[in-house]
Amino acid sequence: MLAWLSRSVLPVATIVAAIIVIWYAAAIPMNSMRTYMMAPDDAEISFSELVSDTWSQKKPQLPLPHQIVREVKKQATFSWIWKEKRRGYKRSLIYHTWVTLSSTLLGFGLGLVLGVSLSLAIVYSRVMDLSVMPWVITSQTIPIIAIAPMIIVIMAPMGLTGLMPKGVISMYLSYFPIVIGMTKGLRSSDPILEDQMKTWSATAFQTFLLLRLPSALPYLFPAMKISLAAALVGAVVAELPSGARAGLGARLLVFSYRSETIPMWANLVSAAILAGLLVVSFGMLERALNRRLGFRTAGEVSS
Amino acid sequence: MKKVVLATFAVAASLMASVAQAQDKFAIQLQWVTQAQFAGYYVAKDKGFYEAAGLDVTVKSGGPDIAPPQILAGGGADIMVNWMPSALSAREKGLPVVNVAQPFKSSGMMLTCRRDSGIASTSDLAGKTVGVWFFGNEFPFLSWMSQLGLSTDGGDSGVTVLQQGFNVDPIFNGQADCVSTMTYNEYWQVIDGGLSADDLIVFKYEDQGVATLEDGLYVLEDNLNDADFVDRLTRFVAASMKGWKYAEANVEEAVEIILDNDDSGTATYEDQFRMMGEIAKLTAGSNGALDPADYERTVATLLAGGDTVISGAPEGAWTHAITDAALK
Amino acid sequence: MMIAIFALVLWGALWAFNVKLAGWLSDRYARIAVPIVFGLTLVVMVELLVIGLNVSFVILPRPSEMVVRLFTSYEMLWEDFVQTILKGALTGYVVGCSTALLVAFLASWSDFLRRGLLPLGNFVAALPVVGLAPIMVMWFGFGWESKAAIVVSMCFFPMLVNSVQGLAATNAIERDLFKTYAATPLQQLGLLRLPAAMPFILNGLKVCTPLALIGAIVAEFFGSPFLGMGFRIKTSVGTLSLDLVWAEIIVAAIAGTGFFGLLLIIERSLTFWHPSQRR
Repeated sequence: MLAWLSRSVLPVATIVAAIIVIWYAAAIPMNSMRTYMMAPDDAEISFSELVSDTWSQKKPQLPLPHQIVREVKKQATFSWIWKEKRRGYKRSLIYHTWVTLSSTLLGFGLGLVLGVSLSLAIVYSRVMDLSVMPWVITSQTIPIIAIAPMIIVIMAPMGLTGLMPKGVISMYLSYFPIVIGMTKGLRSSDPILEDQMKTWSATAFQTFLLLRLPSALPYLFPAMKISLAAALVGAVVAELPSGARAGLGARLLVFSYRSETIPMWANLVSAAILAGLLVVSFGMLERALNRRLGFRTAGEVSS
Repeated sequence: MKKVVLATFAVAASLMASVAQAQDKFAIQLQWVTQAQFAGYYVAKDKGFYEAAGLDVTVKSGGPDIAPPQILAGGGADIMVNWMPSALSAREKGLPVVNVAQPFKSSGMMLTCRRDSGIASTSDLAGKTVGVWFFGNEFPFLSWMSQLGLSTDGGDSGVTVLQQGFNVDPIFNGQADCVSTMTYNEYWQVIDGGLSADDLIVFKYEDQGVATLEDGLYVLEDNLNDADFVDRLTRFVAASMKGWKYAEANVEEAVEIILDNDDSGTATYEDQFRMMGEIAKLTAGSNGALDPADYERTVATLLAGGDTVISGAPEGAWTHAITDAALK
Repeated sequence: MMIAIFALVLWGALWAFNVKLAGWLSDRYARIAVPIVFGLTLVVMVELLVIGLNVSFVILPRPSEMVVRLFTSYEMLWEDFVQTILKGALTGYVVGCSTALLVAFLASWSDFLRRGLLPLGNFVAALPVVGLAPIMVMWFGFGWESKAAIVVSMCFFPMLVNSVQGLAATNAIERDLFKTYAATPLQQLGLLRLPAAMPFILNGLKVCTPLALIGAIVAEFFGSPFLGMGFRIKTSVGTLSLDLVWAEIIVAAIAGTGFFGLLLIIERSLTFWHPSQRR
């Protein structure tokens, strides 16, 4: 236990502590411009006054961790419902995190389906491999933010508004890691085992189901983890132009538009917490599944 | 007895169904996030003015990357709120949009400068850095600068133009000497940010004679040949103007309605109340019908700015047909 | 409608041609010819569908219009390219990736640092860092510096994680061998650790390429001077110059794909020994 603490927790804690110290130090020069601007021209500002002011501004350039934590606590409750009745839930960060989560999950699901089917086509058809693969890579160099508004405009007349376009935009980023990982995985089956399947005169489908698919899974899971993170980026980006309704991205935009830096950071932190929860819960799922299937996860292999 | 009850229910149900069917669908695309700038439409919806006119209206909020003409062309909305320079530019580009109503009489646009940057009049703007909104909103500014004889491509003799983001930070960070503001919105962000009115000098586009018409209602020209559409449109415009007049008279209620419709949950009562007050000043004096004189001034301003927006006076860019029928 | 049907027929014909082509040509030529034919098929399809289904230019311009715009506005596109890709994205990419590499070197000597950085780096690499874009514009101004800054923050952690993993990719036997040869730490780094880390480092560079493009362009949406690809894309949507928007998108795609191709060539020549490069 103690060994675990000193090996894993202590290094991380040290670095986090260092970051926080740097953060507080950096806030003094970064926020000082407004201190001087607000003060009367001839005022002398002592260092302690400067520190206390830069650490407690209403709209600082760099909000401090304690301000952000306080804001998250304030926003991430449902007590707004008592204060503002039926519209109260819209003030809660939990509601907006859920909005973003729903389009993330939709985008991830769509990306998984598209990615897996593309990689199947690529592995089983040489023409598909040759024609599609370079364009899959090109697709990722097209800036999603540029085409996101167009996706929304094109989908609107088809009656698809709200969640669906956001899911499609998020899919655009999330399918890529799946294609790459799954294609690599499907090709990674041992040639000796493939010959063995042949000598058993297994059908192509049997070879796929019993050999290729299981050997692809260890590649698929890490790819899914990356894809999940990409889906979240896609969901946040999709909320920026989608008419700034609900969701963490939309709020980020509106707060940035009103230069409300502390709520902005509070939203960023919620997005970070969401990302962390997604990755951790997926990692647990992966470990459980791998154990059930008799694989070892990448992390366990190396340690 | 049972039968009677059932029959009553059946009649009631069929009545409700027919009422629901009678509601014509209509969608309006706004050009920014939900705020008091669009109070009239939200009030008309929530107070049931649209419903009473037999319309089932969808109000679609906009955002920084939403171009209402694009939504209109794509069929995502039946009518849009747009500023006239942007609409005229779209018209010249080959998307024939027509102004059918003009709830905003005056322009709320102004350039807000810091006094300590040495600006006292428009002649001091040379060599200064100015934040401007793009996305179609830059046209009146470019026109104004060309009338002042200032170039906008940098250099000491002209102004240096920045693409202003969503907020007024550049004026606080020293990145810009002046920023674009609206009387009802960004100006108050500057004030809230800590600069007092004495620290600032403002140039209203209205006072400079380069004001262009803002929030008007536009539809696609082809739709005006469709009698069915015109009928719905007329009812929509009448109900919307009723909404605007109600909002002007009942500011507090209008603000509550705005807050109810803000899905992002970020609008505050104080901000929206102040905005509603400023907006009422701009809608005052308009019954919804476009004043042809305002239109002519807008076109003249744009033409004076060179051919960046429009190269010639547009034909048929507005009509009184709808407002004449709606406001009688 | 006829044109739309014709487009589908043409699609089938060109696809069949591609299948034949993949059979005829040797792998080397097929790798270039087949994707190009496929791309052209797509473009022609879109062109015909846009005409056939009467799609408004406001929604999707014809690909031919985009290409025409590419040539008629090449000066403007070049200026935007210099501003966004060369100044913003590339500077940020170089600074971000090299600092990450430097930190990774430091971490490779200190086990403590490595244990602290790796989980944190993994976590941050999964965050939507792109949300920092408006904040970077606030801090570093409207010029290309703020774009470079967001690119640095987007590239740093994926690159760090890859490099740290790469520098730890040697095994004990190899390290012992170097010790018996009395190699200096620097020799060990240059001759053993760095070559072993190369596949990971190049992978990090590949991951960062699209991130750099997205970061630089997104940041321009939140404020920019009078030029830049993100600025042009955003403002041209407002003035309904959709052909210009797509011309910019094509430039971004060519730049990104070209850079990615360059990395693939470097990868092949530097890490020819790695199993993944076997054919």
